[in-house]
Amino acid sequence: MLTLAEIQTLNRELARKINEDTLRNPKSPYAGHFVGIANGQVVAVADDLDDMARRLEQIEPDPARCFSVEASRDYSEVVDIWSVP
Amino acid sequence: MPRVCWPLINNRPAVQVVLTLALGGQPYTRNLLADTGAGSRWSGPDLLLDEQDCLLCGGFAHQPIVLGGAYIGSFPTYVVRVEIPALGFNSRVRAVAVSRFPAGFDGMACFRFLNQFIYGNFSDPNQFGLEK
Repeated sequence: MLTLAEIQTLNRELARKINEDTLRNPKSPYAGHFVGIANGQVVAVADDLDDMARRLEQIEPDPARCFSVEASRDYSEVVDIWSVP
Repeated sequence: MPRVCWPLINNRPAVQVVLTLALGGQPYTRNLLADTGAGSRWSGPDLLLDEQDCLLCGGFAHQPIVLGGAYIGSFPTYVVRVEIPALGFNSRVRAVAVSRFPAGFDGMACFRFLNQFIYGNFSDPNQFGLEK
């Protein structure tokens, strides 16, 4: 039985791999889609975030066991926020 | 088209969104700075929120996002459900978890979020509003 921390690590690692694969291979089945992961497995794929999230929440109601990624997106891109807190 | 307007907070444009507490399901209202200079149309988050708010409202983790400018570095990101009842808006959005906001605000609404509405002061300089 995996601990919650182990599940979260699996989720993050799977998301990282999916994103790497889709950035390398635009023909990947996940390319350009929102991918929902629960307990270390892909359980929801959709064209938009809201649709993916609704499906993911139905399959795994515990948010701590869930993770998501927008496949093919370059997450190293810096997003500028200019309002000074 | 439905429209909702809010008074400025500290003379800055505000948007009021409703989250839902995971325990008990009560509405949890947050006042956000409407910041069209935060992010762009296609990249970046919809909102910036306190991490505790994301977790209290049942947000699940999304791939972290790198911010620059007022916030620098990689920040945890969550998918949270957001409502604006007067507009019938109810959707999951990406919220980056940061800990400091301009005085009087609980977070920020980024350009990506605001740009799905018609936004502005609708001829009253004391308010800011959204129309869907």
